[in-house]
Order: sequence, then structure tokens, then C-alpha cells
Amino acid sequence: MAKLLQVEHLKKYFPTSRGVVHAVDDVSFSIEEGETMGLVGESGCGKSTLGRTCIHLLESTGGTIRFQGNDVTHLSKKALAEYRNCVQIIFQDPFSSLNPRMTIRDTVTEPLKLSGRFRGEELNRESERLMDLVGIEKRFYNSYPHELDGGRRQRAGVARAISLKPKFIVCDEPVSALDVSIQAQILNLLMDLQDEFKLTYLFVTHDLSVVRHISNKICVMYLGQMVETASTDALFARPYHPYTKALLSAIPTVDIHNQQQRILLKGEITSPINPHPGCRFAQRCPYATAECTQSDLPLVEVEPGHFVACSRIRQINKDL
Amino acid sequence: MAETTLEKKTFLSVENLLVQYKLSGETVYAVNNVSFTVAKGTTLGLVGETGAGKTTIAKAILRILPDHSLKGISGSVVFDGKDLLKLPETEMRSYRGKNISMIFQDPMTALNPVKTVVDQIAEGIALHQNMNKANARIKAIEMLETVGISADRADEYPHQFSGGMKQRVVIAIALACNPDLLIADEPTTALDVTIQAQVLDLISSLQQKLGTSMILITHDLGVVAGTCDAVAVVYAGEIIEYGSKEDIFDHPMHPYTVGLFGALPDLKKNVNRLSPIVGLPPDPTVAYTDSCPFAERCPHVAPQCREKKPHNAEVSQGHFVRCHLAGEIAGKAAP
Repeated sequence: MAKLLQVEHLKKYFPTSRGVVHAVDDVSFSIEEGETMGLVGESGCGKSTLGRTCIHLLESTGGTIRFQGNDVTHLSKKALAEYRNCVQIIFQDPFSSLNPRMTIRDTVTEPLKLSGRFRGEELNRESERLMDLVGIEKRFYNSYPHELDGGRRQRAGVARAISLKPKFIVCDEPVSALDVSIQAQILNLLMDLQDEFKLTYLFVTHDLSVVRHISNKICVMYLGQMVETASTDALFARPYHPYTKALLSAIPTVDIHNQQQRILLKGEITSPINPHPGCRFAQRCPYATAECTQSDLPLVEVEPGHFVACSRIRQINKDL
Repeated sequence: MAETTLEKKTFLSVENLLVQYKLSGETVYAVNNVSFTVAKGTTLGLVGETGAGKTTIAKAILRILPDHSLKGISGSVVFDGKDLLKLPETEMRSYRGKNISMIFQDPMTALNPVKTVVDQIAEGIALHQNMNKANARIKAIEMLETVGISADRADEYPHQFSGGMKQRVVIAIALACNPDLLIADEPTTALDVTIQAQVLDLISSLQQKLGTSMILITHDLGVVAGTCDAVAVVYAGEIIEYGSKEDIFDHPMHPYTVGLFGALPDLKKNVNRLSPIVGLPPDPTVAYTDSCPFAERCPHVAPQCREKKPHNAEVSQGHFVRCHLAGEIAGKAAP
């Protein structure tokens, strides 16, 4: 399969009055066409920033982004408009990402209109086709967002995102704000659309059971850096980084007879402002030694396709 | 297991609790004839989706429902031999924070932003335990250390704390007067999983140390599995299934409970498609007096479900299900 998106040494810093926030700090990955990459981590680790930087909702501070082999790190206004035809985003909160003064029909029609690809009656036909495709019933076409429940609102967000037939969609916590019974409906919809239109997803979430369900491969982020990346099956079967291990063990499971032992971490997530060199997880890591905080750690391929950034990986994982 | 849990002394008994709100001329049927008991030292999980009425049940027990939108409340909440709903407000005030306390969902908004955390903990201690300010402060700092926050941060303000630490402060406030009953309303929903694990561990170890009973409100079945002894599944303001943790997780009977388990992505199994519950949560302004509120979404719906309200049937000892077809569709094992 061809690589659709290739990100190398991507950085995104935010200057603040208290110092520079290293939201995304030297992250590299690639996504193949038609696959779903899950991006997991705790709040504030930079996963949404990374997703948004990839599609130019935020301008990167450093590094390169390649889309279908072309460098799209810096784009002119015209080229950016073209890039945006190919990449889209679905936001977390369907309550605040839709314009409250536009009907669902207007919201879905707007990108079609702006693209100039549709005119007059075509516009109407196409927007109705899209709303039907994502499962919005006819009686809601002319409703305003506040009249709809969270699930239907998120369907409208999906319809808007797929309207111009993008190749790549960043799904930024698309089901976190929804109830379990509705969450499953939206996840199924996203997977159906992927099959039908060969979409590629970057799926940002903190919910590991969702990411396990939907992704082919997973990147785990901690404080702006990638600590482990592997295929979904490999990551869940053999997590090597101590943070990934703790993260996976902390997922509450519904199996009351096999409650796994949770690895309890000490302390809280440290600040991403002017971070120390070395491993950023060291302060909470049960295995950390002085050498962990001395220099930055590269991602090392420990098994084919399985990369880990940890200097003590062989001491922690005897099976490696 | 189930029998030992139920044989323990019940000390909170809620019966036929009914709460209605008024909302721009319409009646919202928030809680409809809910009954349950909590035994000393155990944890009851109240599970359900947004708007099911879980938080309203909790607030009704503490009598902190908003007066301006409350239309009616009836039933009884018997705590330690007294019906809390019939107490005069002044007497009720002595229960809140002392015998019964609550951990609120959102630690970001539950704390007073212009008071130091130690003052917020000491406030309740001084009020309920007749301590002077200096002693209350000492006790408050002890509480902070119990929840894992060092004493040198006691005089900081909430905005200087992270989300997980704020939730610990809220827990310290709730447990400061050693309550008999702790109501935890989604205590970890706003937190990340590794912090959630820390906070749940903290709550259950303190609960064991102090012998506190707990009502844990959550939408997360995984959290329930790790912490509760008994479970009540709430739908449309009713408890549609109630039993021990083993009853609910190993032998869910109500189609809604079965559906909830089915809709969860499973960490251990690879399935291609999830099985969502079709349709939408019920409209709370509809009174389901002659029908099952789940009928519209139920895969097993039969004509009688739309004509008659199912009664609460005991399918095995201590396991109650409100469904006409409970006997026929039973046996669906937990995932």
C-alpha cells in the first residue's frame, strides 16, 4: 500500500507567558492509504494538536509533512485550499462544532457550495444524498443543531466532513461526548464509510477500547512525544513501554472475574512548558534511573514495525 | 456472594422515589418510583446513560434539588431510621457533609476558586465537629495527606492544581467528617485513565479503612465491575434491573442491560461491527405509565410491551428485572 501521509520530526510549539509549550515535539509517523491510525494519550499530551497540525489547522513549528508524496509543510493560500479538498476533520464536541444558526441542511450544503462543484438543484440533491448516507432522517433536514441529540449532531459533523470526498480525515475524539449506545452507532458509521470510500483516518482518542476496535495501528503519545508505536494487535499483546503498560492496565474492564492488576502510577502528568531533556515519563516511571533524564531518546525498532522510546526497555522486558 | 451482601444490615432504603421537574410548561418525569437499598459497608452502582435520572436520585437523597424547577417529590428515603424527605431543613443540614456527603462529577467547578483548598476542607470540619479553626486546619491537612497531597500545598488555590489533584481535594472534603454514606457522582469521568485508576484505588482503600457505604453513579460499566457490590441499571428514571454485581454482569436479563454490554467495544475480542442499541434515549417529558419505556428501542418488543407497564419481577434471589419477557430472553451470557 502507498503511504498517504508521512510526517517527519514534526514540532508544534506555543509561546505563552510562562514559557514555550512543547505540544508536539519531534514526532514522526506515516499512515498508509485506507488504514486507520489511532493516536492515544492523556489529555494535554498533544494528540489533538498533532492531528490539527497535519491538516494545517495549525501551522507547524518544524519538521515536514508529506501528503501523497508531495511536501505540504508550507503551502500558499491556493495550494492550501486544494489540500483542504483532500483532508477533513470531525470534531469532538458536536454541540459546539456546528453553527447554531444554520440548519443541518445549510451546514452540509455549505462546503458543497464553496467548492463550486455543484449548482442549483444539484446542490440540494447532493446534500440530501449525504444526509441520507450518514443516517439523518428527512424530518431533521431543516432542523437546527439544538433540536438534535448528540448522535445526530455528530452524524451531521460526519456528513460535512465527507461532503467533498476527502481522502484523509482526522477524527478528533468523535465519540467521546456520546453515550455508549450512541457511540457504537457512530463508530459503525465511520467504519462503513471507510470501506465504501477507501478513507484514511487518523483517530485521536483517549479511549483505548475504542481505538482497539477501530485502528490498524496505534501511536502512544506522552507529553508531546511518541513513546511507542505498533500494529494494534502487537501493541495490545506486547506493550513494551512502561507508560503503555500502565495505560493498558488502567482500562476498566467489564469482566468481573478477571479484573487485571492495575499498574498504579505515582504523581501527575508534568508540564509541557520548557520540558527537561530525556524521557518525559521518567518522573512517574517505576523503572526510571538517573540516565533516563540525561538525553532525548529515539524510537527504536524492537520488533518489525514495533517502535519504543525507552532506554531501559531490555531490563524491563525480559522477553526481548 | 449475593446472599451475604443482601443479608448485611441495610441502612439506607429508598422507596418509591418520584421526582418531577417543570420545564417551560412541560413536566419532566426525572425519577419514577425508584426503590433500592444500600447495606452497611457496601457499594451500589447506579448505571445509566445521560439523562436517565441518576444524578437526580442522588440529589434527592441529599435534598439538594433546585427549588425553582422542582415540581414534585414523593416517596421515602429512610436513613438510619429517619425519613430524610420529611425532616425540617435545619435538621437536614446537619446530615449533609456529616452523615452523607457527595463527590461531584466535575472537580473543575465543584471547588470555590477564591478559597485555599485547606480552608475548603476545614470549613465542613469546623461546622460539623465543633472544632475551632486551628484544630480544623490540622485535621484538614491530615485529610489532604490521606488523599496524597503534601501539606506544603495546602494553602494553594484550586487553579494551581491539576484535574486529578482537584478531584482528590473534593474527595478529601467529602470524607473529612467520616460520613456513613458517600455518594460519588461520576467521580472519575473528567479524568484520564491512569489518574482514574489512582482515584478509584484511593476511594476504595479509604472506604475500606473507614467502613463507608457508597453509591457510585457512573455510565462506565468497567468502573462498576471494579468497584461495586450491587448494581442498579437506570433507564428513563426507572430502575429496570437490579441485583448483585454477579447477577448483572454474568446474567443480564433486561434487553437494555444486554444491549449496553453489546455496544461496548471489547478489548479482548476482535469484532468487526459493534451492536449499538437502535434509536435514541427516551423523551423525559413522556410519562410511561402504560408501557415499557424501552419498548421503542427493544429488539424483542412484543405487543404487551406497548400496552402494559412491566412489573418488577424477582427472577432469582435479589435479582429484579422490569421486563415482560425477562423469562423468555434470559440466558444471554455477559460478553
